[in-house]
Amino acid sequence: MSDSELGRKWDRCLADTVVKIGTGFGLGLVFSLTFFKRRMWPLAFGSGMGLGMAYSNCQHDFQAPYLLHGKYVKEQEQ
Amino acid sequence: MVPRVWSLMRFLIKGSVAGGAVYLVYDQELLGPSDKSQAVLQKAEEVVPTAVYQFSQYMCEQTGLKIPQLPAPPKFNIRESWNSGISTVMSALSVAPSKAWEYSKEGWEYLKERTK
Repeated sequence: MSDSELGRKWDRCLADTVVKIGTGFGLGLVFSLTFFKRRMWPLAFGSGMGLGMAYSNCQHDFQAPYLLHGKYVKEQEQ
Repeated sequence: MVPRVWSLMRFLIKGSVAGGAVYLVYDQELLGPSDKSQAVLQKAEEVVPTAVYQFSQYMCEQTGLKIPQLPAPPKFNIRESWNSGISTVMSALSVAPSKAWEYSKEGWEYLKERTK
């Protein structure tokens, strides 16, 4: 794996971690406010789940160096 | 009768808010593969500043208040700063023994001159 590819993987990993922890925290917040009487554990649970999912994704990404990753390109109107 | 209807309404409202949040996460694939998360983050970086700016302009028009023009934030690249910091620390560590030898030699020469 070249250095640039390794750097891109790390970037993808960090972005994924941020998004997943934020999403888990957000969902935990919604459920805490709606069903669980503003307790703290849904936030911790959601954040922990997001972190675990991000870690798992990163692990698969680094252990499978031959899988290609595509890029989403915006459609250009002609 | 009315309290039961009210508690049922509250439950339905809470359920729809929570269900909407779950559907939004599912639709945007926020808990999916890492490629999609990266795409969502890039899209948010493009959309959020313009949305905040438009909202602030709308609020200024509605309330008549004027938000003072803040200076543009300095361009700060975390990656460049981190890399240059690591390079500086490593180069300092690599020259530390020779520099220590030089300074101790100079100190010794100085002491010898003073004690003559």
